[in-house]
Amino acid sequence: MTDGDKKNVIQHLTAALSLQKIIFLLVLTFFLVSILFPFYWMVSSSFKSKAEIGGREPVYVPERLRLDAYRELFDPEFADYQEFGTNILNSIKIAVPTTLIAVILSTLGAYAIARLRFRAKDFLLNSILMVYLLPGVLIIIPLFAMLAQVGTAVGFEVQDNLYVLVVTYLAQTLPVALYMLTNYFRTIPDEIEQAGLIDGCNRVGVIWRITLPLAIPALVSVGIYTFMIAWNEFLYALVFLNQHELFTMPIKINTIFNDPTPRPHVVMAASTIMTLPIVFLFLLLERYLAEGLTAGGVKG
Amino acid sequence: MTSAVNTKPSRWGSLEKREARLAWFFILPTALIVFGLIVFPAFFSIWVSFHDVGLKNLNDVFNADFVGFANYQKVFQDYAFKYQGLQSWGAAITSIVFSFGATVLTLLVGLAAALLLNRPFRARGLVRAIFLIPYVAPVISMAFVWRWILDPRPSGVVNDILVNLGVIDLPIGYLSTRGLALMLVILFEAWRYFPFAMLMILARLQAVDVTLYEAAEVDGANTWQKFWNITLSELRYILGAIFLLRLMWTFNKFDDIFLLTGGGFGTKVLPVLTYEFSFKLFDFGRGAATAMILFIILVIFMAFYVRIVMRNVED
Repeated sequence: MTDGDKKNVIQHLTAALSLQKIIFLLVLTFFLVSILFPFYWMVSSSFKSKAEIGGREPVYVPERLRLDAYRELFDPEFADYQEFGTNILNSIKIAVPTTLIAVILSTLGAYAIARLRFRAKDFLLNSILMVYLLPGVLIIIPLFAMLAQVGTAVGFEVQDNLYVLVVTYLAQTLPVALYMLTNYFRTIPDEIEQAGLIDGCNRVGVIWRITLPLAIPALVSVGIYTFMIAWNEFLYALVFLNQHELFTMPIKINTIFNDPTPRPHVVMAASTIMTLPIVFLFLLLERYLAEGLTAGGVKG
Repeated sequence: MTSAVNTKPSRWGSLEKREARLAWFFILPTALIVFGLIVFPAFFSIWVSFHDVGLKNLNDVFNADFVGFANYQKVFQDYAFKYQGLQSWGAAITSIVFSFGATVLTLLVGLAAALLLNRPFRARGLVRAIFLIPYVAPVISMAFVWRWILDPRPSGVVNDILVNLGVIDLPIGYLSTRGLALMLVILFEAWRYFPFAMLMILARLQAVDVTLYEAAEVDGANTWQKFWNITLSELRYILGAIFLLRLMWTFNKFDDIFLLTGGGFGTKVLPVLTYEFSFKLFDFGRGAATAMILFIILVIFMAFYVRIVMRNVED
């Protein structure tokens, strides 16, 4: 083989490789831009002034970080003060209890289905999974009518009641949580628990000391998943909440958006506040979640 | 020996009973919540769709007048529902076009993303995490960011870029143009839900036996042949499953379209129509009838799909 031949082969190889690489990089860039630009646009718009927002041309980089939008959301001195702090608090008041209760109840239920023998087990699991099929808009009408009826009889308010939302979010998230955890518990070898039982632990002791510590990744996934649903949910909150001081963040953002004087920077500021925690939570725990999401086929 | 035989059944029996009791105790709260707030309302919804339920008798639902199929008739005759030629598709056809278009596109984009991430490169973990953002971020923020990017005024980003590039002369109201609005809503769905498809496909891709590719290389297969004969054929079952799940959820989807277009400009799908009948007109009977029609279309399609398509896939 002469030197010239050798060079040719190498040139050929690099050319082929770089063509593939170029396509790869192009596609990758396309994906990244389509995801990161909206994200950048949301955050940067939230720091713009009213003039920058309402100009004839879009301002790609705000001149400096102006807090007008955030002042409108949080500063009581500001003219159109929105009391957004209350809305954040409402979202937390709903999302945290939903998450805690969902994790506890689905752990118990999933354990029963994965480990204990009882009749009607398959029927229960299947009918709980059937919930996958049912449209949210189909459920909300009868639910609204039903709860109104029960509410009048028992004496609680259906509208503007944060607890009603917690319970409906539980109903929506428990099936998937149960399914994810059941799958996970089945991957933990039964022998470990049997050994615990033989050593004199009772069932509850075995669950507490052996099964739960092994299931922490799955519990984290389920927790984040329910938190995300309760934090992001729009339709039920829209229907069940009327009073401004009880609005969760999504409903408040929708209200600001539909205000007769459009203030996109304020909408974007509120959206940023709502989006950042959930995205950071995900980036932090991505490894657990990717698994959890595929195992449960999470509804969205 | 005899005593062992005698004691064993009773001891097992009691243990079994205790176990069953514990199981019921564990599962009961979940079962009650899910049955009370999802399964029962679902059946109750059938009942509501045959009765005249509105704001006037909301506190006395069970005594509502039976109206037979009147609610369904009203829906079928509604201009927002029925097909009236190419200019106005009606909610039923729009729903079908929207969900099929969005599902197929989600699947294709998800497949592309999965193939992209299946090859090792630096910062792959970070890229995968970034790819998940559209899926986990709140729908309200994402819908409003895109509305703001697609703003009809000259200051909208897309308008600014396209006018400067000379593609268009005047700014366009993207989400308020019939046809274009539906296409953009479909694109939004694909953008938002491709990570779900990507994760499922990626998990399956990583389980494909590498020796299959090695064997194909020995046989002289090119990249395209390898992709078509190995990758796709290994993926067809998971692709079929994702298609079914996504189609179901897209068909039921309310918030994305409601927030992007409010259901205007040829994007009114059945869930949005259901919402309007129930919570704008406060005619719950008609809303429930619309939801039942939506559900029936879905069930018919699912039965057809599982029977014909999934069987072929398994062969």
